[in-house]
Order: sequence, then structure tokens, then C-alpha cells
Amino acid sequence: MAHIKVERRSMRPEEWIKLRFGWLKREIYSEKHEIDSFVIREARQTSEMNFEFYDEQPRPLKKGDMYFTPDGTAFIEADYELPEHLVGKKYVFSLKTAAEMIVRVNGRYVGGIDPNRERMNLSEYVEGRRLHFEIMGYNRSKPDDERNPESLSVRGCRQIFEGGYIAVVNEAVTSLVYDIEMLLDAALSGAFNEDFSQLVIDNLDKALNLIDFDDVRTEDVRAASDYIEENIFSNKDYKGSGRVALVAHSHLDIAYYWRRIHAVQKNLRTVLIQLRLMDKYPDFKYAHTQAYTYETVEKYYPEVFEELKRRIAEGRFEPVGAMYVEPDCNVPSCESLIRQCLYGQSFFREKFGLTVDNCWLPDVFGNSWILPQILKKSGVDYFVSNKMSTWNDTNRFPHNNFVWRGIDGSEVYACVPPTHFISWNMPSQVADNWEAFQDKGTGSATLQMFGYGDGGSGATEEMVELMHRFEKLSVMPETEHITGKEFLHKNFDGNEKLSVWDGELYLEMHRGTFTTKSNLKAYNRKLEFMLREAELRSVLRMKRGVGYPADKLREIYKKLMINQFHDIIPGSHITPVYRDAMADYEQMEKELAEIIGGGEEYFNSLNFERKAVTFISDENGTVVRKGERGYFACPDIPALSCGKIGREKADDWFSANGMKAETPLYSIEFAPDASFVSLKDKELCREWVKGDFNKLKIYHDTPGNYDAWDILPNYKDKQEEIRIEKPLEFIGSDDECAEFSVVLATAKSRWQMIIRLFRRSRGIEVENIVDWNEKHRLAKAEFGCNVLSRELVCDTSAGFIKRETHRNTSWQQARFEVCHHKWCDMCEQGGGVALINQGKYGVSAENGTMALSLLRATIRPDPTSDIGRHNFCYMIYPHSGNAVDAGINDLAFEYNVPLEKGGFDCGTELSGKLWLQAVKLSENGRMIVVRLSEQNGERGVISLTKKAKILNMLEDEIGQADEIAYAPFEIITLGFEL
Amino acid sequence: MEKYINEYIRPRLQGDGGEITFVEEKGDEVTVLLQGECSKCLILDRCLKWIEERTETDLGRKVRVIGIRKKPYFQDV
Repeated sequence: MAHIKVERRSMRPEEWIKLRFGWLKREIYSEKHEIDSFVIREARQTSEMNFEFYDEQPRPLKKGDMYFTPDGTAFIEADYELPEHLVGKKYVFSLKTAAEMIVRVNGRYVGGIDPNRERMNLSEYVEGRRLHFEIMGYNRSKPDDERNPESLSVRGCRQIFEGGYIAVVNEAVTSLVYDIEMLLDAALSGAFNEDFSQLVIDNLDKALNLIDFDDVRTEDVRAASDYIEENIFSNKDYKGSGRVALVAHSHLDIAYYWRRIHAVQKNLRTVLIQLRLMDKYPDFKYAHTQAYTYETVEKYYPEVFEELKRRIAEGRFEPVGAMYVEPDCNVPSCESLIRQCLYGQSFFREKFGLTVDNCWLPDVFGNSWILPQILKKSGVDYFVSNKMSTWNDTNRFPHNNFVWRGIDGSEVYACVPPTHFISWNMPSQVADNWEAFQDKGTGSATLQMFGYGDGGSGATEEMVELMHRFEKLSVMPETEHITGKEFLHKNFDGNEKLSVWDGELYLEMHRGTFTTKSNLKAYNRKLEFMLREAELRSVLRMKRGVGYPADKLREIYKKLMINQFHDIIPGSHITPVYRDAMADYEQMEKELAEIIGGGEEYFNSLNFERKAVTFISDENGTVVRKGERGYFACPDIPALSCGKIGREKADDWFSANGMKAETPLYSIEFAPDASFVSLKDKELCREWVKGDFNKLKIYHDTPGNYDAWDILPNYKDKQEEIRIEKPLEFIGSDDECAEFSVVLATAKSRWQMIIRLFRRSRGIEVENIVDWNEKHRLAKAEFGCNVLSRELVCDTSAGFIKRETHRNTSWQQARFEVCHHKWCDMCEQGGGVALINQGKYGVSAENGTMALSLLRATIRPDPTSDIGRHNFCYMIYPHSGNAVDAGINDLAFEYNVPLEKGGFDCGTELSGKLWLQAVKLSENGRMIVVRLSEQNGERGVISLTKKAKILNMLEDEIGQADEIAYAPFEIITLGFEL
Repeated sequence: MEKYINEYIRPRLQGDGGEITFVEEKGDEVTVLLQGECSKCLILDRCLKWIEERTETDLGRKVRVIGIRKKPYFQDV
């Protein structure tokens, strides 16, 4: 007999409840008075506080009119006389919109409206009958939160004005709406006991029967609420378990689907909304990150900042996250991450008298292993993140509350909550969080952040009202609304049951962000080293009596920090954000070049002797590299000293015969596409090539919706055909360098590779000049090495991390693309091959093959991403011994720090085995701060000629010494009094 | 018209995550290619109307703007 599926066509009880619930919501306002005097001026934001207006004069704005324009800001005003009977009574301002609005009435910032809230209290903030409205609205195609289904339907650049109203809220109806909102979620989400769900449905139905929806009377509404109280809330037969801490928070991307100039107003709106919730609910507390966002409130909205300061002093508006912005934690260097803490904490200390003891980075795409030490030495004991527990695509991250041990052994308490950092405080979300919490055995509570985010917004009245009702639902876990700091101290301090995670917090997703928008990455690297050079030279000049440009350097550093935000440097943003970042970078480069200055001789700013082959800019040079004429030389200049570049005459050091080349170090056979058939090492008597070596491969890269973010493991399934447009040919040589060139092409792109062989260096440089016009492609240079290795050693910028290159477990399989900094290396006993780059971060390795990720071509969020000309270099460096024995780290510094002219000689005290990471004037202007970083995993002692202050990374004195023992991967900060 | 679309209209649409490219102009009809967020916008017709209004204000020309959507492959269902 055929099975016939029975479909219920009649209305289910829950559908009947939902229908009446919709009718009830129509009764929220007991009276509404339309403001019909609105006028509008459409504009476009051009900087943080400047706008281009489309019209000279405002035009009337009536209900049903179209308003807002693409990338538009609207200035809306109205004068309104309050009905007399409302004077002295409670009323609200109501305006339903897809835009984000900051509302000022009678000269005071009174609140914010956006897709997540359509009304704000007004009567508490104004006096008299005359109301002058000034509304600034920023329209955007991506409403605050895609997870809020109600906001999805109102996307779009042009909106229809639905009118603005003065209204009176029926508190009894509103209270019942919140009861039903919560109970429907509890009953229908499937998160709770089925019998309890049935109890809720049965009694909600009966409660709503008490209301006549043809004539809704407040006493009937109250009767329905009482019925729910007596028949649902009073029933304690159904017990929940667990403890969930509720922390109100709003995630604000400084730039993403909007430019950073827009974040100023997004942040203000968010701050205002949360301040107003604090006015209404005395128990409400809220956590807000990023010193930069506080800075913009202080700079542009000082009256709001004063209010904010008062709430911070009360402990209700809580600065969390010690950093200046929420940076990407893969690409920025160690010193950049230190500065994020230094500038963030300096602001919080100066303005609020606080040292924030937590780092709050819920949205970043993985966290480098170097972070715990940086945090610990920046006054931070607690780390909060999120993505590896909610977004991993392969393995479930095994902990939520744990201890994170860093590369040097430093430990911080870490919280990676089991559910998303954007939630709207529904009972099911709270229950799901506890259900997913993996550290129940530690006795700690789990963290639930609530509040809309990405574009700010934060907690809503509804979220707070629901939170106040949670204790009435016996089926729920026990909840507590506390600050972030209270949660962390209460659940972690002295908790010996917490597990330890020793390693990087690798995110098994968003692996493309190491490569997307390659120009940003390369520029960031260059500027990180230019800042080091500029600070060092400024200190040296200061010793000669020249003023230290502290404000300028801090300003440039802060701009670098902003552009290291986790949707800027990773490349996950729209076109204008890229343009802004590149404009910033160009300006910073110019300003830093001025500070760096010049001189007669070449200044080796490295704290070790500079000997490796280096490109020297010279208009009479024989080589053109990255568009600049010059020559290669081996400088031989002592640490932190000046010298001249000696050029040796050398004939007959090189020969080429077709695809074969001979240098003093190698016998090479190329393929016509510039890959190596053979690379025989004359000194070490071995072959380095096994398989494709320096082989350009362009893969089809189709990761789906998270296009700019992700690379999927299936990228290897399909390759683009690469033609040889001009086979490899010898193009010339001089005393130090011989060059070959090849031109490769696809149907849409042209790729020239220049191979450089050197007389006195094991390094082989590859310059790539690319006209890139691809979509959905990933370009990699592959290196099959004749090396038996099961590890890829990767630079982190503050020491190295070893990653397995086999695929034994799902954890190793998931790490098919990883982030590295200046170099990676694969070696066996006796020797190996290093790849040294100048701004590439993505790399993959399997068995004996490394593949450096060079370019991507993604279309979301930016359809123009990476299209255009690229010019970048990397160096292949075969060597004896392992990476440390071969000094690969020092070579990588030499490769990334250009040798520039400058007349300084500061002696050798700062030279030695530790990397001189930074030399700067202290923030208080009283010390020279020297930061040293152990990068090879070694232990030792530094001896100084005089006592120095031992500092933490916030430049606080924690001791004094003239002999300092250091441990593997330790970062030491010293202060020398002026 | 091509210059106007590329240099004036395009940055504005890009500001909302969209993308517009001039395709052709035939008489009073201007065809444009829409990508990014524009390609899936539910109320794109309002935006095209705005381009027509701006063109009239800025260039003094009445045109009809025809949009061709090119959705990303992962949303082209």
C-alpha cells in the first residue's frame, strides 16, 4: 500500500498563537502623533565629519517618499509642537527604518534608531512642548545583522519613508509581548523539554483567549499576563541546568561593508543606544571594545564622551579589550601587536584611569602563538575570542574556558565561548550555549555575549526585558548578567581544573585571508619595518639634540593599527575600504621616508653585521628591480653602524648555456617555464629539487559565500592552463648577479618571472611582475624539495612554529594552508630549503613540498579584489643545517629591511643574539625604550654596561638590572633614562 | 555617459558593496552591468531610477537605465 504523507492544513495551536501575537504587537502604542514637518538633505560622507550635499536646500519628507541614496547619509530635521496632554507624560519617538540614525532633540543626543529598534524614549530627555529634531541617518545595504531575519527584507540603498511619530507606549501590552516572545522561543525552538513546550503552548493559547482582539482592553491584557504568571512562570516542575553569564556587547567592525569614516557614527549610535538602556535599566551593563572608537567619541562628540565617562566610572559601561582596535592576529608583526596594546592601554589609563586586563577579540580569524606573552606583558591576563569554537570547518575546538600557553610558555586565561558572539538573548540561545559548553567539569560558567553587531547596534530593550524574565523560566540554565571583567575573574581565577592549550589558536576557516589583497599585506610589512627604522633614527638624532617626533610617529603608528583591523588587512571588505587603506599607506610611507631621512654613508640599522646580498638603489645600476634601477652588493657593515658599499670586480663567475647555468655555488638546469629541473649544490654536494620546484600554479579557487576569506582544500582539484609566452632566457649578468627572464600567460593574465642567481649568496631571488586579471583563482609557487621532512618551520615574527606536513589526523588535514611571516623552511639533518618573502603570508606544505601563496582573485565583498599589476619578490635559500644554524631569520631581516643612507653610529651594546625589535622614546618622554626579542629558541644572558630599567610592554618599570637572563622566545623591554 | 557612470555613479554604489560597469549606450538607453551587492538587491529598480534622476540633474539628459545583474556563482541558483 502506498504511503500517503498526511499534511495538516488546518491551523495548529502555535500558529493561532502567533497570529494573535502579531495582532497584539499592533497595540503596543496607545496613541501615535505623526510628525509631518520633516525636511531632508541627502548627502554623501567624504571624511569622518564632512559631507557632500546633493541639494542646496532641504526638501520636505513625507510618508511614502523615497529617501537615502547609494552610500548616502541623510540629514533630517523637524520642528514639532507636542500635544498639550502629553506634557509631563512619558512618550517615545518612533521611526521604522532600515537605516542607522542618530537622533538629537533640542540640541541633545537622545538616542539611536536602526533596523533592530524602531523607538526610543524621549520624554525623559526634553523639556517643554517645542521639539527640534536633528537626525543623521546613514543608509547601508547590509543591515546591522544578517542573523536578524526581520532586517533582511529591508536591505537596499533607497528606502521609503514610513513616517516619524511621537507615541505613547502601552506598558501592559509591551510586557505581554515580551512574555510571549520569550515563551514562543522556549516552546518552539526545540531547545527544551517537550512536555514543557506543550505546557507553554496550551497556556499561551488560554491566556490569549482572555483578550478580545476586536477591542483590546488593557485590563484584559493584564489578565492574560497574570494567567501566564500563574500557569507557566509559577510552574517549577521543569528544571534546567547549568550556569550562563550574560555579557552585553556589540561587535563593531571599523571597516567592512562600510568605510572607517562611517564607523565614527556607527559607534556613536551604538554608544548612545547602550547609554539610554542604562538610563532605563539600572542593572544593565555593557562591554565595548577598541580604544580607537572611544577616541572618536571624545574627538567629535565630547558631550557624549562626558556621559560615557560617568557610566565607566560607575562600572556599567565597560571598556574591554586592551587593544587599540580589534586587529587581525595573523598578519601583523609582534611589534604591531604590542603597539595595539600599548596605545589601547595608554588611552584607557589616561582617560578612564583603567588598565584593561582582558583582550577581547571575538571576530578575529585565528590567533598567533606569540600573543600570550604580549598580552601578559601588557597587563592582560584574560583572552576572549570566539571563531575557532563556532566556525571551525573540520575539528571541534576542544575547550571553551581554558589556559592558553604561548610560544615562550607564558599563560593567559582564555575564553572561547561555544556559541556566536552575536546573539539576541533568546532562551534557546542561552540553553544552546550551555549544551555546547565543553568545560562543564571545571565548575565555571559559560559566556554568552548578547547584542547585535558587526556594524554596532548592541543590546535592545527586548534583550534586557527577556533577560529579566529568565529566572521565571525554571527550564532555563541559571543566568547572571555581569560585566566581562566580573565573568573572567569569577570563573577563571585560581581555577585549577582548566585545561591547557599549548599552541596557536588556528582557525580552521578563513585561510584565504593570509593572501587576499596582496598589496595591503606587502605594504603593511614594508611600513612595519619603516616605522622601526624611523623610531630608531629619531632616537639617534635625539641624542644629537634633534627633537623626537613623538606625536607624528604615534599618529602614523595608530594609522597602521587601524589598517590592521580584522576586516582591513585580511582583505575582507568592499572596494572603498581598500582604496582608503592604500591612500593611508602611501601617506604613511611618504611621512616615514621624511623622518628616516638620508646621509652620506649607508646605515645598517640591524643589530647584527650586514653581509647578505642586498639590492642598492642606484640610477647607474645594471639591474632593474621592482621598477627601480640599482645593483646587488654584499655590504659588510657592522651592527648599527655606517659604512660604504664596496663593489668587487668579478669576471667569469657565471656561465649559461641554454637552460643550464653554472654559478660558484650551483649547477642549475631550468625548464622553459622557469621552474628548476635540477639545483645541484656544489658546496654541499647534493640535489635540492624533487618534483616541481619554483613552479607557478594557478588553481581554480571557488570557496563560496566567504570568498575573500576562505580557501577550500578542493582548490587543488583544477588548475588553470599556463602558457609559456616567452621561454626562459638569460638576460644578463654583472659582478654579483645573473638574471633570467620568462613570460608566462593565461587567457587573461601575463606573468613575468625574473630569476636572479648570485655570485656570493646561496639565495636565488624570483621577481614576479604580474598583470593579473583573473576571477576565482589562487596562484601559488610550488617547491618540491629533495628533503625528508615532516615539519614546516614558520616564522611568527617573534620566534618560529613547527607544523607537521603529513595528513595523519584531521587536525593536520585542516591546516592545509597556514600563516607565516618572513620565512618558512623545510629541512632534514644536514640541510634544507628556506623561502624568504617580502609580504606573503599564506603557505601550504605537504610531505616534501612547500607552496607559497602569491595572489588570489576573489569577488566578495570586493568584485575588483587584486585585479591589476603586482610586483613582488621572494628568495629561495638552500642551506646547510637547520633554519637556526643557517641564520635564516637574520637573512629574512636583511631581505626585508632595505639598506638606506644615514649618518649614525651607535656602537655595539645593542648588538648580539637577540633581535633589536624596537628603539623608541617612551610614551612619557623620559626614557629610551629598547625591545629585544629572542627568536631562535635559545637561552642566554645579556650584559649591559650600566643598569637598565626592566619594563613591561606598557613601559611600566618592573625592576632594574645590568645582567639579564633570557629564555627561548622571550621578549624583553628595557628602559634607559635620558 | 561611460565616464559619468564609471567616475560618479560607480564609487557611490561601491560604497554600499555594489559594483556597476557601463556596457553600452543606444539612443536614450544606457545598459549597465551590476555585480556585488547590487546583483542581488531586492529593490534595485529604485537605484536605477536614482541613476536616471542624477543623470538628468548632472548631465541634463533623460535616459533609461537598463541593469543586467551578474550574481556571484555561489548565489546564482
